[in-house]
Amino acid sequence: MSDGDESGGKPISKKTRTIRVDTLARVEGEGALRIELVGGRAERVELRLFEPPRFFEAFLRGRSRTEVPDITARICGICPVAYQMSSCHALEAAAGVVVDGPLRELRRLLYCGEWIESHALHVFMLHLPDFLGYPDALAMAKDHGDLVRAGLRVKKAGNSVVSALGGREIHPINVKVGGFYRAPERAELDALAAELEWAARAMRDMLPAFTALEYPALERDYELVALRHPSEYPFCEGRIVSSKGLDIDVREYPEHFVEQQVPYSTALHSRIRGRGGYFVGPLARFNLNADRLSSPARDAAAALGLEPPVLNPFKSLPARVVEIVEALHEALRVIAAYRRPTVSAVELPVVAGIGHSCTEAPRGILYHRYAIDAAGLVEDARIIPPTSQNQGTIEDDLRAIAPDLARMPLDAATHRAEQAVRNYDPCISCSTHFLRLEIVER
Amino acid sequence: MTPRALVIGLGQPAAGDDGVGIAVIVRLRAEGVLEGVAYETAAEASALVERLQTGVPVIIVDALVGGGKPGDVVVLDTERLAGDLRPLSTHGISVAQAIVLARALAPAAVSPMIRVVGIVIATAEVGDAALSPLIADAVPQACAKVYELIREVMH
Repeated sequence: MSDGDESGGKPISKKTRTIRVDTLARVEGEGALRIELVGGRAERVELRLFEPPRFFEAFLRGRSRTEVPDITARICGICPVAYQMSSCHALEAAAGVVVDGPLRELRRLLYCGEWIESHALHVFMLHLPDFLGYPDALAMAKDHGDLVRAGLRVKKAGNSVVSALGGREIHPINVKVGGFYRAPERAELDALAAELEWAARAMRDMLPAFTALEYPALERDYELVALRHPSEYPFCEGRIVSSKGLDIDVREYPEHFVEQQVPYSTALHSRIRGRGGYFVGPLARFNLNADRLSSPARDAAAALGLEPPVLNPFKSLPARVVEIVEALHEALRVIAAYRRPTVSAVELPVVAGIGHSCTEAPRGILYHRYAIDAAGLVEDARIIPPTSQNQGTIEDDLRAIAPDLARMPLDAATHRAEQAVRNYDPCISCSTHFLRLEIVER
Repeated sequence: MTPRALVIGLGQPAAGDDGVGIAVIVRLRAEGVLEGVAYETAAEASALVERLQTGVPVIIVDALVGGGKPGDVVVLDTERLAGDLRPLSTHGISVAQAIVLARALAPAAVSPMIRVVGIVIATAEVGDAALSPLIADAVPQACAKVYELIREVMH
């Protein structure tokens, strides 16, 4: 137990405190978090994410490339589209095919749906309670019912897009390598527009709720990494760039990014070769692509006081709000311009090849690489989720706030540590099996 | 036609036994839709918040960890749920939390009677497309419980 300090701002205890989050509530899945504080310093920070060791990569070997999008979609229940898009683009690259035109636009629309539902769930149900001083969304709903109701309706608008294009809300079944099994009629997409327009207005009306938030003070010299496209806010295409000068083709990912084993987790820590950890996700995308945002999204960013460089990870929350606005605008743009294509998918030649892709999952870049043999079977697969790439950075954030945690009562310290992890909206199901968390102080 | 009862199956079919709620709905539909009963599915509990805003009784079918041994089928009275049951699947809120949230957001609109048919599982495995044999064997019993509740709520 602590040495009896019970008020904030007190001298740092010289005794050892261990904070282990008993359950890291309100992230997708569960996580294991342990921080050992000695004299106000973090002696040890362990974010234990128990990844099914290369389960899916092994499972894909020998499968037909046509099965890959459906198999990889099962890695994550809330970002199946991201896995389908990364896998499709990588497999198409292996065959030397580029999907363009209306099919490319439909993919952007599908991704918009996923960003909207994922970001809205995280913002309104998982993270906003932290900033408004509530233990959870249920407590927040008692005082901010309109906010929660609107947030859930925005989420549902995103779900509707994924259902309409994906063929099913639970697990999209309409995505295939080369495009879709069926392209929707214009009328099917028009039916989505009214609710997306409502959601866009609702997000604009809710901006004041976010402008008054206070953010814990934390800024670090992050290397932010995201895709960058010549003209668009990125989803599926672009070069991989960073805030410290990296600018590479996605095929060069393995040459610049490495994974290192750490003893306390089966999830690997990602590093930029020769440099260190890095930061992917909405805050990285915003910093590196703010000039690509639509007008409504730029207005939202201005209203929220967001202007690059933004290096406080707690401001990932308003960055997600901006991206919801952007995704709603983009979805409506695609729908307004849509003409049903004559074919729903491009044919791929059956050839051996290696293909890489990075697409921007809601939580950051999701890298896929496949080696395909001459019969169209998977020889080798590599999948690196964004949460895995952020894991080392999350731990570094916890080390950085350790002195603050040492001064705080245990409950407050625990909550602050959890809030810091939630900045990354870690989709722990992508990089973990079943995790346990416990908080202990000694 | 306006239904007189709503049965909602929850779960992720791609997460093994977590998909048992969906499997129950599939079987119920295959056995023949009862007059006046609507069957729906949802991937996760936050979808319940809106769907519970109905004037008819609702029966939710979902996987459950704890409350029995794997394969057991239990009926939960939601009036006694504490609202803090941790979600089994990976994203968002639990069924209990969704019910509490729906009641907080729309107290006048939420169904007057909500029951949960829980099928106890050991764990959910991401990537498994099928139910384990033990849980697959529990599906008919869960359907029987649903029919029993339908008779109860529609009379």
